[in-house]
Amino acid sequence: MSGLIKKIIPYEIAQGMALTLKVWVKGLFDPFRKQEDRVIVTRRYPKVKRPAQPGFRGLHALARDEKGGMKCVGCGMCAAICPSKCIDIHTAEGPDFKKYVTGYRIEVLRCVFCGLCVEACPYGAIALTEHYEYSGYTRAEFDYNMIRLLENWDKYMGGDKGKKYFENFWTPKKWFFTGGKPVSPVSKIAGGETNAG
Amino acid sequence: MGAIDTLLLVVGVVIKLVVVFAVAMLHVAYATYFERKVIAHMQIRLGPMEVGWHGLLQPIADGVKLLFKEDIIPAKADRHVFMIAPMICFFAATSSLVVFPFFEDFKLGPYHVGGSLANINIGLLFVLAMSSLGAYGVVMAGWASNSKYAFLGGLRSSAQVISYEIPLGLSLVGVMMLAGSLNLTDIVHAQSGMWNIIPQLLGFSVFCIAALAETNRTPFDLPEAESELVAGYFTEYTGFRFALFFLAEYMGMLIMASLGTVCFLGGWNPVPGMEKIIPGGVWWFLAKVYALFFMYYWVRTTLPRYRYDQLMSLGWKVMIPIALANIFLTGLWKVYFA
Repeated sequence: MSGLIKKIIPYEIAQGMALTLKVWVKGLFDPFRKQEDRVIVTRRYPKVKRPAQPGFRGLHALARDEKGGMKCVGCGMCAAICPSKCIDIHTAEGPDFKKYVTGYRIEVLRCVFCGLCVEACPYGAIALTEHYEYSGYTRAEFDYNMIRLLENWDKYMGGDKGKKYFENFWTPKKWFFTGGKPVSPVSKIAGGETNAG
Repeated sequence: MGAIDTLLLVVGVVIKLVVVFAVAMLHVAYATYFERKVIAHMQIRLGPMEVGWHGLLQPIADGVKLLFKEDIIPAKADRHVFMIAPMICFFAATSSLVVFPFFEDFKLGPYHVGGSLANINIGLLFVLAMSSLGAYGVVMAGWASNSKYAFLGGLRSSAQVISYEIPLGLSLVGVMMLAGSLNLTDIVHAQSGMWNIIPQLLGFSVFCIAALAETNRTPFDLPEAESELVAGYFTEYTGFRFALFFLAEYMGMLIMASLGTVCFLGGWNPVPGMEKIIPGGVWWFLAKVYALFFMYYWVRTTLPRYRYDQLMSLGWKVMIPIALANIFLTGLWKVYFA
């Protein structure tokens, strides 16, 4: 009997209609609600940007030291570990018989954003910033050289941001990231300090 | 009747035609906007927001875009039929507007202003005839496109429209019996005491479902089922020919909503008990049409599409018997109580 009644009265259809009507009425009052209480989930992207989640892996940057120079020493660990082989480093001997990085190039279009280069770097010299809105018309625009990578650091990792980045998300190197002076992890361990992270 | 009077008559009719057509086109354009808005809100989205305040200029932007699009006619298509089909659809949908009474006739000085463009005695029959004429455009479009999707869409549409024309017509028979007339103005006058929706509730439910099928709307949108047939019968159409089909579909919705308003919801009559606050007039008519439009959107956003055999069995095995029973009950009521 109840089956017959359900057949005559479109019960499920009425249920569905009630649901959509409820959602519609709720959404109508959205302009009077605070952003976080809104029912409608659409984010109007270019106008309302979603903040990058902690540890987001975006565009690359080369970290600066305290004097404003480059932290990178040209050891080539990042290039060695890079699975897509998109890092290209050139070094040369300077007049003071020291090793200088003469060229550092990342082809961002080939990068897979695995973050292994950041993990591999013993000096915390390379970072993946939170910036993700970069686009262009040519491949050349995505061929980042040393100068542009350092500019990225200034633009997206300026101030405390860069320090926090390494401290919070790359914990294995937390204890040797000292801002300006790179300290070898080996000497740290030998000095008796423990991994705080 | 002198020459001046004839001229005035012609000018008056032309002005009324232009006004009704313009208002109807505006309604059609904004029906698309509100459809997108309502459906979006029901699906927890925002809908059009970018063009104008809350996307209010979106229909105009869409129309301009369609006007400037390239008009492509497939090489293997039947050219002339292909070009005529959207015009037939649009013409058939729009011409029904002529008979609808939007408000009560009144006198403006010496002139008599009719609530409808043509107060003809077979108004209801005219609407039904014109709405089935639209099926020709659909079938011709499907045939002339020389594409399997369009062809299947056209076939489905013809079968569907034929099946649902019967319950649609039968559901309105009860209304005719109560009013004793096919004249839409008389039908509205007959409802000044009680709207037809109360004695004709069965007929109204059949009418609503049949109207959904008649205008190829979800859950009966099989002729243009996008997940199966790309876009159905207008798959091969582009530019303004596509827009004509689109306009015809929404105009069909407007016609069906107006027909429901006139036949079941009392046309321009106010809600009983509200005559003192808001007197009867075109605003009541529009409010009821909007309510029926909202029903269209609401059903579309909620229900999935019927399978084809389900559609047919619903039409023939459920809708037609109910409509016939409604006629029988109305007849009994007429004989014993009225």
